Amino acid sequence: MTGKMRRPGRILGIVLIWIVAILWCFPLLYMLITSFKGEADVLPPSLWIAHPTLDNYASVLRYQIIHIILNSAVISVASVFACLVLGVPVTYALVFGRLRNSDNLFFWFLSTTLLPPVAVIVPVFLMFRVSGLLDTIGGMILIYTGVNIPIVIWMTRSFLLDVPQEILESSSIDGSSRLRSFFGIILPLARQGIISTGLLVFIFVWNEFFFSINLTYVNAATVPVYMASFMTQQGLFWAKLCAISTLVVLPPVVLGWLAQRSLVKGLTMGAVKG
Amino acid sequence: MSEALQRRRRSLLLSLPAIVVVAVVTQAPILFTFGLSLVRWIVVRPDLGITFIGLDNYADIFMSRDFYEVVLNTALVTVMSLAACTLLGILFSLMLNRDFPGVNVVRTLIISPFFVMDAVAGIIWRAIILDSSFGWNGYFASLFRTKPLDFFGVHSLLTIVVLIVWQWTPFFVLIILAGFQNIPPEVMDSARVDGTGWFKELVFIRIPVIMNHIEVAVLLGLIFVLKVFGLIFVTTRGGPGYSSANLPYYVYKTAFLGWQVGRGAAVAVVTVIITLLAITALFRWFRRRIGRPA
Repeated sequence: MTGKMRRPGRILGIVLIWIVAILWCFPLLYMLITSFKGEADVLPPSLWIAHPTLDNYASVLRYQIIHIILNSAVISVASVFACLVLGVPVTYALVFGRLRNSDNLFFWFLSTTLLPPVAVIVPVFLMFRVSGLLDTIGGMILIYTGVNIPIVIWMTRSFLLDVPQEILESSSIDGSSRLRSFFGIILPLARQGIISTGLLVFIFVWNEFFFSINLTYVNAATVPVYMASFMTQQGLFWAKLCAISTLVVLPPVVLGWLAQRSLVKGLTMGAVKG
Repeated sequence: MSEALQRRRRSLLLSLPAIVVVAVVTQAPILFTFGLSLVRWIVVRPDLGITFIGLDNYADIFMSRDFYEVVLNTALVTVMSLAACTLLGILFSLMLNRDFPGVNVVRTLIISPFFVMDAVAGIIWRAIILDSSFGWNGYFASLFRTKPLDFFGVHSLLTIVVLIVWQWTPFFVLIILAGFQNIPPEVMDSARVDGTGWFKELVFIRIPVIMNHIEVAVLLGLIFVLKVFGLIFVTTRGGPGYSSANLPYYVYKTAFLGWQVGRGAAVAVVTVIITLLAITALFRWFRRRIGRPA
């Protein structure tokens, strides 16, 4: 199709595509630009950085933000770990095991992802208050693990289904135990998919807002909660706002780039080819 | 014990911890929410206590005008965002489904908003883009000597739609692009031999072939769009009034800002029912469409 197009037309098309992409990403790109401006140069809006500076980054990192970033990091990493450790065995049991109602179990897990978090928040809040889990790292890990285990099962199923049954059968003839075939054959073959699943859960937990704003105050507050209160607490310091935004957006965006190809296959449950 | 039974027990044992955690965090609370929806419990009025009032909370909700406004908002936001995401998703996928210098960078630029947290997406748009005095909105208005659009007043619902579309179009692109890339070359070749025009070929050949992808994207999009909360919280706070509140935000406002726990729980139950109905309806519709001979 492109071959038939004349050369100037093709170049024009490519330029157009680039413009569309840059405009789409403009809020993020402009956020990055603003983060290097001095607070006095932020207004009026301009693409030019008159006096490039790293002061914004230096100054925002002095606030309580380091504590909050650590909270988010600990909660996200621990939740990913717990989700995978609890979730992948379920997928294994669903795909290779001999469960009587494996389809029902799978759909039960899936159905929980359909529920809006608002449907559970009041009881969870009360439960956390009674048990002392309110505003604790442990409480947040518990809630995020419970919410994301279904995502892990949903995502990893299509990757485990891809493991050829014959390989497993031949290994069980060899007499190697099921445990060994799980760690020796299935995990390595499904590694890519499981890692992407972990990355996705990390992104979801790192970015999660609703549970965090309702269940944390100071102790276990996470990055999204801090960001939401930034303008009320720190005032209209847009350059600093942009600097801190850039820092906290970077980890999920980079991980997202890494995981994007497997995401398609995992999220669509193999309903479409990735 | 027989081998089969042993294997079944082992499979169950492997699944049990996850079942327990998920049940504790999602299933038990939802039953509890249903129970709460039947009581009157206003936290800031301890003198009233917690009393069983049957379906009165539901009656209250269905009598209140706010509720219908919020349901309508939710429907509007969902339909408009999913339609826009689908259209832009197809358009961007067509752009990316070819080879040109920097195609990977362009793809990265378009995908990135999907991974940005709601809280940051919301405040960045609110401050540096849409702010009517200091953002680009105000800048362009003064450039063209017009009044800046009021994104947080009359157009607040549109603001929510714009933000959802900005975040979720990348997700549609990921799935739809995968569809275009999997079209067998024979299909395209035969269209070329027929001499079908580009647009006709797109509408009658390529899009029908990837319909499955589009449906999956829309279905998953629906699940997530119905849950949107953070974007609203950090941009319009559902206002002015309830003009940009959706059902999740309404539950939050009732239960945590109004402290009417019972009533909030009732709205939550209604939200769950509406969510399940919407997803089931869409799913059925897609199934039926596929069942029909092409």
